[in-house]
Amino acid sequence: MHIAEGFLPPAHAAAWTAAAAPFVIHGVRSLTQAVRANPDAKLLLGASGAFCFVLSALKIPSVTGSCSHPTGVGLGAILFRPPVMAALGTITLLFQALLLAHGGLTTLGANVFSMAVVGPWVAYGVYRLVRALTGALPETTSLGLAVFCGASLASLGTYTVTSLQLALAFPDAQSGVPGAFAKFGAVFSVTQIPLAIIEGLITVVIVRLLITASRSDLLRLGILRADAAATEPADGKAV
Amino acid sequence: MLAIDAAAYRSPWRRLHPAVKGIFCGGLLVCALALPAWPGAALTAAVVLAAAFGPAGVPPRAFARAAWVPLGFILTGAVTLLVSVGGPDGAVAWDPDGWQRAAEICGRASAALLCQLLFAFSTPLAELLPRLTRIGLPSALVEIIALIYRMLFVTLDTARRIGLGQAGRLGYTSRRAWIRSVGALGATLFIRSYDRARRMQRGLECRGYTGDLRVLVESLPLRAGQVLAAAAPPLLVASTALGYGVLL
Repeated sequence: MHIAEGFLPPAHAAAWTAAAAPFVIHGVRSLTQAVRANPDAKLLLGASGAFCFVLSALKIPSVTGSCSHPTGVGLGAILFRPPVMAALGTITLLFQALLLAHGGLTTLGANVFSMAVVGPWVAYGVYRLVRALTGALPETTSLGLAVFCGASLASLGTYTVTSLQLALAFPDAQSGVPGAFAKFGAVFSVTQIPLAIIEGLITVVIVRLLITASRSDLLRLGILRADAAATEPADGKAV
Repeated sequence: MLAIDAAAYRSPWRRLHPAVKGIFCGGLLVCALALPAWPGAALTAAVVLAAAFGPAGVPPRAFARAAWVPLGFILTGAVTLLVSVGGPDGAVAWDPDGWQRAAEICGRASAALLCQLLFAFSTPLAELLPRLTRIGLPSALVEIIALIYRMLFVTLDTARRIGLGQAGRLGYTSRRAWIRSVGALGATLFIRSYDRARRMQRGLECRGYTGDLRVLVESLPLRAGQVLAAAAPPLLVASTALGYGVLL
C-alpha cells in the first residue's frame, strides 16, 4: 500500500524520511561493503533488486474480481536479510514511483519506513522466532510455517504502519489519532487482510519450490540449515 | 517496456537536461504542497496539465492510465475524512467540516501527483541514474541501481512469458491454481535471475571485467536560459497564489 505523492503534509513527509534514513544508510553501507569484499556480488545484487521489483508487480487475486500486488517484502527479507532489504526496498520504491507511479517522491521516506524497514524486520523477526519454536518439527514443515507467518505478518505490519502514518497526518476531529487509525485501518483492511494471507501462501509455495530446485542458493543465503540439507535427499524436481 | 519509460524516450523534452525538468516539476511540486490548496493546487495542476499536453507532448491515454491507481488511493484516503468516529453523535458520524479537508487534500495530492507524473513521463531513468553521483550518492550504490534498472526489463519480460505459458496451461482459472502459479512464477524467476547474473558475470570476466561497469552517458548541455525558463512558471504560480491570498 503506497502513500501517493503529496498526500502527507510536508512536515510529516520530512519526519518519516528522517526516521527511515538511518536504516537505509546502514543498508547501503552493508551493500557497498558486500560489493567491496566480493565484486562478484554486484551482479547478484542487481538480479536480487530486479527480482524484488518484479515480485511486487505480480498480480494476485484479492477481493473477488479485483487484482492486487503483493509487497514481496517478506520473501525479500527472508532471502536477503533486513539491512540489505532496506537498501533494495528503497531502490524498488524509487523505481515504482518513477516507472509505475506507485507511491511518490516526497512520500518516499514514509513508504520506505513502512515497506523497506518495518515490513522486513517484522518478517525476519517472526521468521526467526517461529523457526526457533518449531525446531523439533521436520525441516520443511518448520520452514513452511515460519515463512507463512513471516510473510503475512510483514504484509500486515506494513499496512498497520501505513494506517498509522495516515492517522498521524490526519487525526479525527472527535477522537484524534486513535479514531483516525481505526478509520484508515478499516477502509484499507478490505483489501489488505486477504492480501496478507494470500501473500503468505504464495511465499510458502516459492520457498518450497526453491528448496527442491535451488538448494545451493538457499544454503548460501543461510535459509536452509546445513545439517538438514545434508540429511534430506535433493530431488532435482523441475519447476 | 513500461509505458511511462517508453513515453519518456519519445518525449520532446528528452533532450533537456534532467536538472531543468527537475527544477520545473520540483518547483511546481513545492507550490502544490506549500501554497494554500485554493488557488495554489488548482493553478499548479492547470500549469502542469498545460505543459504536459502542450510542449511536453505526453500521450493523454497513457498519462490517465498511470494516474488512475494513485488517484484511487487519494480518493479512498480522502473518503475517511468525511466521517468522524467516537464523537457524541454516535460511533460513526458525518463530519460537517470533513468535506473541506477532504477536498483540500484531494486537490493538493492530485496536483503533486501530476508534477511527479510529468517528470516521469519526460525523463528516461537511464539518463537520470548516472547523474545521481552528482548529488552525493556513493558510486557503488549508483552502479547497483543502474544494474537493477538494466536487469529489470529482462526479468519483467521473463515473468510475462512464464505467466503467458502458465495461462496457456489454465494456470489462472481458479484462485487455488492462481496462488500455485504465482508461487511457481516467483520461484522460477529467482532461479533464472540468479542464473543469468552468474552467466553475465562469467561473460564479463572473460572480457577483462575489473569491477567497473562503464556505460556511455549522453552529455546534455545545461543552459542558463533553460534553467531560468524552467524556474519561471513555479515562481509565477507561487506569486499569483500568494497575491490572490493577500488581495482577498
